[in-house]
Amino acid sequence: MICKKCASPMAVILRKKDHYCENCFILSTNHKFRACIGKNKVLSPNENVLICLSGGVGSAVLLDLVHHGISLENNKKLRIVPHFIHLFDDNVPEVSDAILKKCQKYNFDIYFVHLSDYLNNNTQLPEVNQIVALKEDDKIKFTRLLNCMPSTAANDYLLKVKRHLFIKYAKQLNCSAIFTAETTNTLAINLLCNLAIGRGSQVQNDVGFCDVRDEKVKILRPMKDISKEELDYYVKIKKLVSITRTNVKSNSLQSAISSFVSDLQQNFQSTISTVCKTADKIGDYEEDKASGKCVICKSALFTKDMKLSALEATNISKTVSLGNMNFQQDLENNSELLNILENNSNNSMFPLINKYLCYGCSRNHSEMSKPELLQIG
Amino acid sequence: MPVPCRRDCGKNAVLKRPKTGDALCKECFFWAFETEIHYTITKAQLFNKGDSVAIGASGGKDSTVLAYVLKTLNKRYNYGLNLLLLSIDEGITGYRDDSLETVKQNRDDYEMPLKILSYKDLYGWTMDEIVAQIGRKNNCTFCGVFRRQALDRGAAMLDVKCIATGHNADDIAETVLMNVLRGDIARLKRCTSISTGSEGTIPRVKPLKYTYEKEIVMYAHYKKLVYFSTECVFAPNAYRGHARALLKDMEKIRPSCIMDIIYSGETMSVKEQVSLPTQRICSRCKFVSSQEVCKACVLLEGLNKGLPKLGIGKSSKAKKMLEEYNSKQINNESELEVAVKDLNNVSDVTVDKSKGLCRNKKNTNKENDVDKCNKNNCCGGTCKSNAKNVDPAVSNKKLNMLLEQYGLEEQTTVNHPNNQDKEKVNGSHTPENSDDEEPAQNGDDEDDTCSSACGRLGSLQIGF
Repeated sequence: MICKKCASPMAVILRKKDHYCENCFILSTNHKFRACIGKNKVLSPNENVLICLSGGVGSAVLLDLVHHGISLENNKKLRIVPHFIHLFDDNVPEVSDAILKKCQKYNFDIYFVHLSDYLNNNTQLPEVNQIVALKEDDKIKFTRLLNCMPSTAANDYLLKVKRHLFIKYAKQLNCSAIFTAETTNTLAINLLCNLAIGRGSQVQNDVGFCDVRDEKVKILRPMKDISKEELDYYVKIKKLVSITRTNVKSNSLQSAISSFVSDLQQNFQSTISTVCKTADKIGDYEEDKASGKCVICKSALFTKDMKLSALEATNISKTVSLGNMNFQQDLENNSELLNILENNSNNSMFPLINKYLCYGCSRNHSEMSKPELLQIG
Repeated sequence: MPVPCRRDCGKNAVLKRPKTGDALCKECFFWAFETEIHYTITKAQLFNKGDSVAIGASGGKDSTVLAYVLKTLNKRYNYGLNLLLLSIDEGITGYRDDSLETVKQNRDDYEMPLKILSYKDLYGWTMDEIVAQIGRKNNCTFCGVFRRQALDRGAAMLDVKCIATGHNADDIAETVLMNVLRGDIARLKRCTSISTGSEGTIPRVKPLKYTYEKEIVMYAHYKKLVYFSTECVFAPNAYRGHARALLKDMEKIRPSCIMDIIYSGETMSVKEQVSLPTQRICSRCKFVSSQEVCKACVLLEGLNKGLPKLGIGKSSKAKKMLEEYNSKQINNESELEVAVKDLNNVSDVTVDKSKGLCRNKKNTNKENDVDKCNKNNCCGGTCKSNAKNVDPAVSNKKLNMLLEQYGLEEQTTVNHPNNQDKEKVNGSHTPENSDDEEPAQNGDDEDDTCSSACGRLGSLQIGF
């Protein structure tokens, strides 16, 4: 078998049918990365960019692509000033060490921030290349917080925590943009997860190329057109080191969707790209109409005027499931039934909704056994 | 240990509601279930007083519960609706024939008039025959597309204000997932609306939109309603099955996800620059379509031309198929001309014996048996060209008969296989028109490839 483009012996098979040689493959992956940044025209030259490394395959490739881009000395040079950050927890300490080693190899400096820093309001920038643990108090509190909610909510919450920390440190470092390393696969899964937890209106920011929820810092996903399959080849060819660990809690919607998508992709090779193309078409909200932002995910609180949505339907369900016999009598003797139902509407299903929290975060909040830990409202 | 009912009525609970997690006794569950549907109907203003409403009845649990609840609420809250049952007979042996018996039972139990329309009458094909052509894959596409239009036709005949369908919350969540997986942005946009239908068409409403399938099964079970609970014999291969499997897995982990998916669909918007198909009227059958020619007409054309896969998959493939078909036609015609010439010149009868036979058969069928003409189509290109020889008066007779029978505009019957000759004359270019866009967006109004017809096996053992 020969390469589709240059007729040299092939080394890579994509989508079970497309053959490439190593050279053409690396070139095309590089191109996908650069084209994604280029065509969206969001970066100005020599901008400070915070690059987030998790230690997985995606971030290993992102690091290599950025390194390659900025070391070019022609007109294709990637004109950014990169800063690196890694968020760690105490579960897998070897990941941080591995990332530190890798960055030293490329001669990059990196900041290490513990996830529990989320609970800390004013943190100074840590020393570069130092893995400093935070106060035990915060750590314990953070672990308790994550453990008081079911795995689906915890997975979702953790994503919001990371987003918050990235933005916080981007501001400290004067970065106006952030690079994260989500692949096509991850984004396809994230789209379905977003739908499954009621975040349909947030898809553009959570899954699209650019998250613009923060006024000053944009989160960009320059690897969004590269698949997991391609990454694995890239890592193999370039002999990169990556530590794969699943940070998604099992028995959750996220884990179910993730295995579903992988299985379907096996039989229908276009599943992931179709899902991602759908994601590209969803979006455009009138942000200015929003009454405020969710304190957890910073999404616009949804105020679109709807006569009836799943939110009201769930609240009414709760109302009629709790209402006692007198309530039923009232209802049946009164013609103004709609008013009675709505005035008595039970909001316990969605605490703090549309005042502090969006639908998805409110749902998570309602499932927490100790919601006071969040200190909202 | 018995759990007391949440509503403090003193009785023991019989089930835990999947939507809210509250445990209720039987009576309180009935009340809560019905009140919620009443709330949905009034809040979303689904009906107006005095309306005639056709209930799409399959005999399955959803439509049976819908018919029962609408009857109950109509009386209790004085909606003033005139309720009718409308069933579509797809012609699926071992499934629809049995379920229609259930619908007839419903008709008697709930004292509602019932109208049954069959695919055979409307399109000239039963699902059994279609499956024999297309195979076990993709057949839900035919069934879904045809049923949607059949419901519209039935509603027009009954002269109703709207059609109420039994789509439940699970169905809608499933459809959202399926449309994301298939990349069908147009349907994704409209699949969560409670009422669909553009101007000039009969709207569809979904009163059970926020009702969980589990609760519907429980309600039917405790109310001892008679319903038909066999899965459609052709359904297991549908793509929808994947979305359904995922949703079932997800529901086990977090039951609220069904409502959450619906909320996502409701609040999601489509980017302005994305071009969506606009709804218009099919140039052939005059029913609602997003294309020049609606999906039902394309599928039917494919069946009648012996190209059952015409309306399935990419439009480019369909185009190619048609081109091949047409060139074959031209060849056949020239062959025929040669044959006719031979006949005239040499009067050698044996030259085109087979074609002559075929033509004779066709003519007889045209006059005697509406339904058998399918079989003619099966002989594909060879006898097709002979159809031109049919006396136009004969087909007009058929046309008039159909017009009388269905009372629809003349154009609607163009669909019918009997009018192939006519179609060939004035419609030979139309199929190409329909292929300009993705066939996935051809669909007209809704998007259940199978949900309303394929009553699933509802599990009864959910209680606790």
